[in-house]
Amino acid sequence: MNNQRPEYLVPALIAGAVAGVLSGIPFVNCLCCLWIIGGAVLATSLLAKNTPGPLTAGDGAIVGALTGIVAAVIDSLMSIPLRAVNEAFVRRFMESLARFSDQMPAGWQDWVQRGTAGGFSLAGFFLGLFVSAAIFAILGVLGGVIGVSLFGRKKIPAPPPPSPQGPTDATL
Amino acid sequence: MMTAQKEKVRIRHPGRAHDMNKSAPLASAAVIRRTVLLVYGFTFIGTLAWMGAIFLAPYLKSRSSGAAASFLYAIFSPVCHQIPSRSFYFHGFPLAVCGRCLGIYAGFLAGLVIYPFARGFSKIALPSGRLFILLSLPVGADFVGGLLGLWASPNWIRFSTGFLWGVILPFYFMTGVSELLLRRPARKSNDEPAPPG
Repeated sequence: MNNQRPEYLVPALIAGAVAGVLSGIPFVNCLCCLWIIGGAVLATSLLAKNTPGPLTAGDGAIVGALTGIVAAVIDSLMSIPLRAVNEAFVRRFMESLARFSDQMPAGWQDWVQRGTAGGFSLAGFFLGLFVSAAIFAILGVLGGVIGVSLFGRKKIPAPPPPSPQGPTDATL
Repeated sequence: MMTAQKEKVRIRHPGRAHDMNKSAPLASAAVIRRTVLLVYGFTFIGTLAWMGAIFLAPYLKSRSSGAAASFLYAIFSPVCHQIPSRSFYFHGFPLAVCGRCLGIYAGFLAGLVIYPFARGFSKIALPSGRLFILLSLPVGADFVGGLLGLWASPNWIRFSTGFLWGVILPFYFMTGVSELLLRRPARKSNDEPAPPG
């Protein structure tokens, strides 16, 4: 019986990086939480490729949670340089939107200003990272278990038929 | 002398029965039931709190509790674009998540309500991959169509497709977390030496 545990870290790092980058890029991030769930599914597919036997839902949950945490770190790190880009873009965006302000739904100014609000603070960064990591880990668990149902149910290869001559010296 | 042997239950995976992998957890029916109930309780409370926070943000905003409302909106910002035109409104302000995300979370809550009737607490099993793909098609088509500019769905369509998809999600979440919790005692009991005789 093979008691080796699956290698969770490498698939989680690869898929977490992909999901973190995609969820951090402005406009591409409109897919909301689905990038994280998709990233965890990707991590499970990578894990399934590197694991000889079928995966359990627990394996998917572990690799998914790790993927979510990695994605949260990447997403938070990406938000630092993107903040300046966002501010410039949102300023131009607000100027053009101001012409149509009577046609905009209520609350649009708040939404736009949220993109530019506040400078960088280390405490705020770590608080945001902590909250993101917790939420992304939960979403990652979901994606990881979905990935198991899609990719992790491999059949165990049948053991070779016993030799009719019995064990040889080489096997002893 | 051995007492009555506990019934050992192998955690099932979906579809046809097949062998589990090397860490196939063995747990008694009572342990499985207790664990699934625990996970269910925490998930249900957590989902209610999550849904409550989505509605609380605009409510607080309408009551001029700006800081608290901003904090709640900020909590949801990593998981949703929060575009006002794609959101439902409550007390005159957009909810903390868009219509599609609200549908997913509402569907998740509905799935949790259905869960005990559909699955019970005594067994854990993943839904079939085919069912997942089937329920993902509407939300996927709606998203891709919107992205390609083929159509601009109204919010109720976004909500409905998200809801449909969200219904199946608790069946995955419950299975994954329950099995994860069941692993440790199972592994511990597997490591125990066999009784003599």
